[in-house]
Amino acid sequence: MWCGPLELVHRPAWPGPGQLGQKVSSQTTALLRNPWRKEKPASARPVLEIYSASGVPLASLLWKSGPVVSLGWSAEEELLCVQEDGVVLVYGLHGDFRRHFSMGNVGGPGGWGKGMESGTLSLPQPTTPLSRRCSRTGFWMPGSSILSLVLGWLSSQEPTASPSVPTWVTSNSAGCQRCQVSPDTPGAAFTAHRCAFCPWDHQRQKLWALGSLRWSFSTTIGLQSAPSCWTTVCQDRVAHILLAVGPDLYLLDHAACSAVTPPGLAPGVSSFLQMAVSFTYRHLALFTDTGYIWMGTASLKEKLCEFNCNIRAPPKQMVWCSRPRSKERAVVVAWERRLMVVGDAPESIQFVLDEDSYLVPELDGVRIFSRSTHEFLHEVPVASEEIFKIASMAPGALLLEAQKEYEKESQKADEYLREIQELGQLPQAVQQCIEAAGHEHWPDMQKSLLRAASFGKCFLDRFPPDSFVRMCQDLRVLNAVRDYHIGIPLTYSQYKQLTIQVLLDRLVLRRLYPLAIQICEYLRLPEVQGVSRILAHWACYKVQQKDVSDEDVARAINQKLGDTPGVSYSDIAARAYGCGRTELAIKLLEYEPRSGEQVPLLLKMKRSKLALSKAIESGDTDLVFTVLLHLKNELNRGDFFMTLRNQPMALSLYRQFCKHQELETLKDLYNQDDNHQELGSFHIRASYAAEERIEGRVAALQTAADAFYKAKNEFAAKATEDQMRLLRLQRRLEDELGGRFLDLSLHDTVTTLILSGQNKRAEQLARDFRIPDKRLWWLKLTALADLEDWEELEKFSKSKKSPIGYLPFVEICMKQHNKYEAKKYASRVGPEQKVKALLLVGDVAQAADVAIEHRNEAEMSLVLSHCTGATDGATADKIQRARAQAQKK
Amino acid sequence: MAFPHRPDAPELPDFSMLKRLARDQLIYLLEQLPGKKDLFIEADLMSPLDRIANVSILKQHEVDKLYKVENKPALSSSEQLCFLVRPRIKNMRYIASLVNADKMAGRTRKYKVIFSPQKFYACEMVLEEEGVYGDVSCDEWAFSLLPLDVDLLSMELPEFFRDYFLEGDQRWINTLAQALHLLSTLYGPFPNCYGIGRCAKMSYELWKRLEEEEDGETKGRRPEIGQIFLLDRDVDFVTALCSQVVYEGLVDDTFRIKCGSVDFGPEVTSSDKSLKVLLNAEDKVFNEIRNEHFSNVFSFLSQKAAASLMLLLGRDWGGPRRRGMDIKQMKNFVSQELKGLKQEHRLLSLHIGACESIMKKKTKQDFQELIKTEHALLEGFNIRESTSYIEEHIDRQVSPIESLRLMCLLSITENGLIPKDYRSLKTQYLQSYGPEHLLTFSNLRRAGLLTEQAPGDTLTAVESKVSKLVTDKAAGKITDAFSSLAKRSNFRAISKKLNLIPRVDGEYDLKVPRDMAYVFSGAYVPLSCRIIEQVLERRGWQGLDEVVRLLNCSELAFTDMTKDDKASSESLRLILVVFLGGCTFSEISALRFLGREKGYRFIFLTTAVTNSARLMEAMSEVKA
Repeated sequence: MWCGPLELVHRPAWPGPGQLGQKVSSQTTALLRNPWRKEKPASARPVLEIYSASGVPLASLLWKSGPVVSLGWSAEEELLCVQEDGVVLVYGLHGDFRRHFSMGNVGGPGGWGKGMESGTLSLPQPTTPLSRRCSRTGFWMPGSSILSLVLGWLSSQEPTASPSVPTWVTSNSAGCQRCQVSPDTPGAAFTAHRCAFCPWDHQRQKLWALGSLRWSFSTTIGLQSAPSCWTTVCQDRVAHILLAVGPDLYLLDHAACSAVTPPGLAPGVSSFLQMAVSFTYRHLALFTDTGYIWMGTASLKEKLCEFNCNIRAPPKQMVWCSRPRSKERAVVVAWERRLMVVGDAPESIQFVLDEDSYLVPELDGVRIFSRSTHEFLHEVPVASEEIFKIASMAPGALLLEAQKEYEKESQKADEYLREIQELGQLPQAVQQCIEAAGHEHWPDMQKSLLRAASFGKCFLDRFPPDSFVRMCQDLRVLNAVRDYHIGIPLTYSQYKQLTIQVLLDRLVLRRLYPLAIQICEYLRLPEVQGVSRILAHWACYKVQQKDVSDEDVARAINQKLGDTPGVSYSDIAARAYGCGRTELAIKLLEYEPRSGEQVPLLLKMKRSKLALSKAIESGDTDLVFTVLLHLKNELNRGDFFMTLRNQPMALSLYRQFCKHQELETLKDLYNQDDNHQELGSFHIRASYAAEERIEGRVAALQTAADAFYKAKNEFAAKATEDQMRLLRLQRRLEDELGGRFLDLSLHDTVTTLILSGQNKRAEQLARDFRIPDKRLWWLKLTALADLEDWEELEKFSKSKKSPIGYLPFVEICMKQHNKYEAKKYASRVGPEQKVKALLLVGDVAQAADVAIEHRNEAEMSLVLSHCTGATDGATADKIQRARAQAQKK
Repeated sequence: MAFPHRPDAPELPDFSMLKRLARDQLIYLLEQLPGKKDLFIEADLMSPLDRIANVSILKQHEVDKLYKVENKPALSSSEQLCFLVRPRIKNMRYIASLVNADKMAGRTRKYKVIFSPQKFYACEMVLEEEGVYGDVSCDEWAFSLLPLDVDLLSMELPEFFRDYFLEGDQRWINTLAQALHLLSTLYGPFPNCYGIGRCAKMSYELWKRLEEEEDGETKGRRPEIGQIFLLDRDVDFVTALCSQVVYEGLVDDTFRIKCGSVDFGPEVTSSDKSLKVLLNAEDKVFNEIRNEHFSNVFSFLSQKAAASLMLLLGRDWGGPRRRGMDIKQMKNFVSQELKGLKQEHRLLSLHIGACESIMKKKTKQDFQELIKTEHALLEGFNIRESTSYIEEHIDRQVSPIESLRLMCLLSITENGLIPKDYRSLKTQYLQSYGPEHLLTFSNLRRAGLLTEQAPGDTLTAVESKVSKLVTDKAAGKITDAFSSLAKRSNFRAISKKLNLIPRVDGEYDLKVPRDMAYVFSGAYVPLSCRIIEQVLERRGWQGLDEVVRLLNCSELAFTDMTKDDKASSESLRLILVVFLGGCTFSEISALRFLGREKGYRFIFLTTAVTNSARLMEAMSEVKA
């Protein structure tokens, strides 16, 4: 069942009659579902005008570039204007120039010819072939000898909206799709003569000649004249070109060209006048010069049906018109004043066109644009058909009727309802009404259907409410955007396919921020996906208003955005910087709470020092380091060090790096700061880490000593000088005595000398370096005991009064298990340590005597704790007695 | 022994999840390099890795051979090399040299570098400078928290201490903030936060920022851990410098516990092999003695050994219960209980061996004298005597690290050494242990560990003059500035304020401790633990202003309480203590004791477990 063209636009607003036809024929009009643009050749220069789908002018600009071959819209709603010389100019929805790129100038007399092949509704589903349609276009170049075709993805790459917020599904999926499709055939261009076949990487907007794939097109086909018609078809993610030359059809891909014949094609065809590929790329229709239409699969393997319309005049347009998941397939053919819908039926439906019209195939129907109207031709959805068919007894129809009667307070309502319930079809009835409401364009009709659904729902126990609620919400949104002020007359199926995110994107593109925000709030979308995103877009638009002062813009943005989660001030600032408003960008950055986010932009704007302090604030050392390297390259060494000096955190970070990687820089750093202390330390380290030769080491130490003097660190300077002396001396000792002395400490040097019997030298060294007596005694004691030179030790002990007492002598002898020697010294131990010494040598009895004599409680218990076994029994008793006595007193 | 927790003490959260997370991530990273590969592991990462994934797990994921990252050319013949390293420049140069050597030899292999716990830009820079950045792929293994025990999480980053407190390098702070963020996502938000120290404050702020950026995740979750306390190591160096006398600390000081396990040498195992033993709560014997003062441990162990022997004997040789046993019961006894007893017996003999070994070592070195000197330093009497003890210590070349530790302890407790001692001790030290320690002294001075008393009290004089001229607030800032100039410790005053030296009436009973001082034989309450105790008690820093000022942390102590009644009283008694720069086992024992007393449970998060020797080694300059 087919519904006549549905008038969608209530206020025709195109310019006066006559002009449009001209524009259509002079191939300067691109029509899209919602906006309407054209270029009219006013006086000398053409004017490019852009209208919304409801005819509201959006932009108008004087065309100053070369002759335009074709216009088309990309998935992100950018207008692509293809010039004869292959240059493609890209404009925004509001006529703002975005960028340009070239498909390469093929030369020759004709330049690039004919129009863009398609460019319609963008559908954000990378998995279905639908989405590819948006970006597939082709050109051919007319001329007697040069034929050229370009096939490429003309969807724009850069997200048109602000990059601030997570990208919408469209751009995401467009990206995916590109990745999936483009590796093998991103696009192709070939000319008959030069036979260049080039993959066309649109992302880099370049044409690359691919030598290995060169082949001669003209010889393969023997093409003498331009093809009568051609189209792109798509199979298994590979794009092909279907080309009709006379009675023959050729299928071209990037490597081969093969002649094809559609199965079941009626004989007698001498030329193909039109061909059309369905929206889904599944079907193909061919219009022959005999007025015969062949419809089949795009793979040319199967015929679906055929129709003979007996009109031999070439149609102006032929497009497919079908609804997803519908079995009906139909093709709409348009002539000057006639529209014909043909399908798998002997009869066709015909309409009369009052004006010049242009057809745009869409997902679920065909849009028909004319000078004064914008209509939509589609197959009536099943649900609507069931309900509104004359004398329909479908449950939905009965329910609608019941509700109407109920409002009239008629008991018939009950009868109808009972009838549905008896059949147990009430849930289907409700569902039908809800579904049909979705396909209605008139709010009144939507309401009455929804009312019926709501009425039916009351009699159902457990009917899940979400489908009803969702439909109400969807219709609200749809009705809002269908308003002619907005001019986005989407059908329900298109809306569902598009998703709300893409719809919001489109609203943002049209700068309809308040409506977009209202929709977000109404649908309760999460802030990050909804409101904040739109606010961010708004802010990005706001910064482009050059007539408003930086102050005002920054304040206005901050007032609106506040601390909304998910809004990145740094992205907005980046946009401002992109517009050349550095000051504004800096002001905006101040609102950015995450200092880390501010850094990259600040660096880009050459505010490196500010970037450094922000990086430090962020606490991210990697970020600090990045800025440091940036600064290092940007500034001269002196300035760089000065900057570091004021930033201790950065300085220590850089020092750490230098310590491991750039020692020389570290030295320079200390030099710059007059940090003599660290400089001294640096050279000390160098004296044993970097230098090998003794001279080098001494020299390093000398430098260190000088630095220490400058740092007023006399101690370190002296110590360093001592070390220099010691090093030289050790060297001499090695030369004279052999053995290893270098790098020993002073103490160890002397010990080594004693151990090797060089007592004289040892004494000399001790004097030279003023080794304190105590140390010397400890040292000698240990060394002689190690040698077990007891004679020498005794001599030494008697040389003068020991500064460390004689207990250590006892201890060390006992350590070497020489009790005999130990006892010698025990007698010389001073009274305080006598007990300890006696205990060490194991003379418990005498220790007890001494302890008792001293009347020292602690000593007595110490002795007591050493009394073990029977031998010491007497001693223990003695102490106990002495203790008791002491306590008595 | 091993006093039970109060019945109302909260349960500890299950931290094994952290291990699972780390393991899964590592496996994922290994799978990113399909096919056989050789794995090069940095030495420092070996033990932590071993706790996460053993060799068989690695083999399962096609790791062929394992190598240690060391400065030697690699012998690997594999086509794919994977490096598991800490983000250190030294490692980058090693990898670069390896790749370049392959290039020279015309060999192409796949290289993958996995940084743990994160990669640093500087590392990538070095790879780029060496011209190999394009040849290697870099990844991060965000493994920052290793549960060493049921209540102890370690980041295993010993270099944190030197990097931050000496070099002023802040890059690990981010890692710490990430780790805290991970904990709060896994175990719910922390309603109450306290902290002291510059590093603590920075980490806290960074962590909060992370939470804000990713909010929503933790919101609405019930907090499991009610309080968190962040503490910088430099707030309390004293405790970390003391000799440890609780068993676990003593084992660490003597044998070095590494990543939760210790290598007991032949002298402990009384066999000819050394044995690697995991020390944690699962070791039932260890769990009972770990927090005990060493003087109790030996007697406890022998009692326990006797008891278990009795049990065995009683059962086996016709004790009253033995008679009724049938074959089945007997079988069960042999397979189950006997096994358990055997296991216990093995552990007992091991710990007894360890004790003997410790005693032998300690008595040899005049441990008593040493402890006495330490206590004198802490209490502040007989300073001259202590100074000459230290001098003798140096003269006799007892141990460079020990000598240094005593010098630092003297300096901190005395607000710096008097100039004469400062010079003479340093001279003696250089003569004993070598001139390169001049750099060590410069490090210690920078870290505030070993300083010279300012002649007179000039600083305070200037301070008071200045503060008369300007407003109070500005004066406070100037004071801070001065104090950071010469980071003076005011240990004595703090000790008095916080009552760190308990008054001793008679003998301190180490068997039944009455306060945290027992971890230092009743002579000193660890400052860090006392601060934590006080703040938790007061629920903030009120009334501690003077202490905070004396700690030179006037602006660095913070409290953040969420007015949220979602935190149950139970969760409020579960407290996460974060030690930035490391904590000692003594501190852990002290807080465990406090927890038992007050019904708290403490969880410890530390950058690494440390002790006095590790601190000193971190500050020492040694010849390469």
